Amino acid sequence: MLEDLYLVILVGTVLVLLAAFSSLLASRFGTPLLLLFLSVGLIAGTDGLGLEFDNAGLAYFIGTLALAVILFDSGFQTPISTFRQAAAPALTLATIGVLGTSILFGIAADWLLGIGLFEGMLLGAIVGSTDAAAVFFLLKTSGIVLRDRIRSLLEIESGTNDPMAIFLTIALVELLSTGGGFEQLGLSVLLGFVQQMGLGLVAGLLGGRGIAFFIAKLSVDRGLLPILILALSIAVFALTGALGGSGFLAVYVAGLYAGNAGLKRAPSIRRFQEGMTWLAQIIMFLILGLLATPRNFDAILIPGIILALFLIFIARPVAVSMCLWPFGFRRRETLFVSWVGLRGAVSILLAILPILGEIEGSYAFFNIAFVIVLTSLLLQGWTLASVARWLRLTVPPRIGPVEKFELELPGAADHELLSYRVVEGSPVATGSRVPRWARPSLVIRNGRSMRYQYAGRLQPGDHVYLFISPRFPPLLDRLFASRTPVAEDDEEFFGEFTVNPDSQASSLAEAYGFELDDTENEMTIAEVMSRRLGGYPSYGDRAPIGPVELIVRETDADGVIVSAGLSLSPPDDTLLTFLRTTGSGRSALGRLFKGTRSKD
Amino acid sequence: MDFRTLIEPAAILPALKATSKRQVLQDMATKAAELIGRPEREILETILNREKLGSTGVGNGIAIPHGKLLELDRITGVFARLQKPVDFDALDEEPVDLVFLLLAPESSGADHLKALSKVARLLRDPDTVAKIRSFQDAGSIYSTMVRSTTQNAA
Repeated sequence: MLEDLYLVILVGTVLVLLAAFSSLLASRFGTPLLLLFLSVGLIAGTDGLGLEFDNAGLAYFIGTLALAVILFDSGFQTPISTFRQAAAPALTLATIGVLGTSILFGIAADWLLGIGLFEGMLLGAIVGSTDAAAVFFLLKTSGIVLRDRIRSLLEIESGTNDPMAIFLTIALVELLSTGGGFEQLGLSVLLGFVQQMGLGLVAGLLGGRGIAFFIAKLSVDRGLLPILILALSIAVFALTGALGGSGFLAVYVAGLYAGNAGLKRAPSIRRFQEGMTWLAQIIMFLILGLLATPRNFDAILIPGIILALFLIFIARPVAVSMCLWPFGFRRRETLFVSWVGLRGAVSILLAILPILGEIEGSYAFFNIAFVIVLTSLLLQGWTLASVARWLRLTVPPRIGPVEKFELELPGAADHELLSYRVVEGSPVATGSRVPRWARPSLVIRNGRSMRYQYAGRLQPGDHVYLFISPRFPPLLDRLFASRTPVAEDDEEFFGEFTVNPDSQASSLAEAYGFELDDTENEMTIAEVMSRRLGGYPSYGDRAPIGPVELIVRETDADGVIVSAGLSLSPPDDTLLTFLRTTGSGRSALGRLFKGTRSKD
Repeated sequence: MDFRTLIEPAAILPALKATSKRQVLQDMATKAAELIGRPEREILETILNREKLGSTGVGNGIAIPHGKLLELDRITGVFARLQKPVDFDALDEEPVDLVFLLLAPESSGADHLKALSKVARLLRDPDTVAKIRSFQDAGSIYSTMVRSTTQNAA
């Protein structure tokens, strides 16, 4: 008995270790890491090394718990400014987008497999949400810098669309297992939705406040604090679920609230959360990999891949274009958002539900969902960076590398103690002064400490300690960054010429021979740009004006354009080529569909 | 658009001596006035107005001042290689030693921008720029430019 215990622990630990080591492989080859975690599970599993695991209930239990941890963390690590920037389009994608994708997918699955529209939609709901872990991880490791607006949109979408997919899946499983039909759909499901999301939102906000309150008031032991927060977040999740709300939504909202409440010791809490999230992901993917039975994939492999391609090339792009249409995204951006529809653990987790609900053909559902996730991770995960570059959505890194350390200050949530190492070639090393508001306090040079006032010009290798408000670090980063190497396509991005944003727009119109309306004739160039960009200009944004394009090169802390570029390139034709090729791609896919159908 | 329609060998100043941005533009305006038969003051005023919007120094020691003139019959370029670089308020703060002045008719619309981006692309190529810097005579500079643009177009 005791030997068994040790054996189970040993096998489990070895698997987790293997998964953790595979991360080294992932960063070397740019493989989607989650795919590796999943593979470790698959290889160890019943068709690989022969580890038997078929307890769907236990897998669902562990997966759910892991997901709660991951969602809390993804809320906790999201700055509220990022959330605000992308909330409207992201939440549209997370609700209507998921629904739209599921319905489109359902129609295709019904048509292809002849399983019935409801069953098809259930499968659609299962693979309806994008995976936060996959999206965050791949955006981070792909080494590309995306425009803020797109990055925020993708991160917020992937963090918030799980509750919708979970809700839809559960609703459809219940409907199917009670043998209900369309007549049961409608009002009750809608009410259920309002109840789940409403309760989830309220409970999340209250829970977040509660967590923030606890941390502020209780003086718990330093080491215990992260555990306390973890336990509280899971309590919020469980309580909300028990009351009939969406625990997943609640735990995300609570994380978002607590993470932005200006908590003391936030950095160490973050580090702990990060570790927990890694562990949760590894365990979740391992268990799901173990649960799968690849030998059963044969039967559904071809339809699974076709459905995955349908999801990737048609269902998601259509749903995304519909959702983003009112928000004025450019077509290239919409295409990219469609491409980052990475599916992941949540889809596999949800695929367990039909099994637990004892729905007919549920194992086939699980296998199809598994194949779809694998296809998505392989196809989209691997090509994410190249697609971003191809659609020209990456921006050159804003600043060179910075060597910076954040230090915790006891009892001071609105100030941070930062330490920068002065790097060769950075503005401070070449004579720029550190502004007064940064309160440069201490310089450590060659192991000796001195006050900033007496240190003279900063030298490479110095460590400077500054005591500042959290609003300013991005500005300081510029001062301490090493000189940015000028990338070749910079001019394409920032325009061939500079323009002074404070100049009158009318003189620009005169110089390039175009007309402005009366209001814009009175404005400065910055004002016109801001107006045409919907009031929120951000780094890298492009505003077409007359025959030229104006580009935001830099904004200050208040979002005012302080530097702008002018590009002569007429609207690019790569998009047209792309649309033409995808157009023919679609018809080819259409033919493929017809082909498989007639074979059936 | 053939590059040879934009500039002629006679419009190249292979070793211009100047000590300031204003003097460079002034001398190039004089050259342009000779070529197109328009008053020098009008030309200078046009390009200075454009400079007020932001320097046309594009970095790496290169500037492309430009503007639109009434009653000009074709796009006209003047190129100068300076003996000593001058400060041009360029974004990268590097002094400028290669200047391509481009004047376009008021009505030229898209052609003006096409010509500008052609010039910008030409002067973005490090090899071409290094060659131009190494030459002291108008003929070699001209043929380097023409060769580089026809190669890139192919």
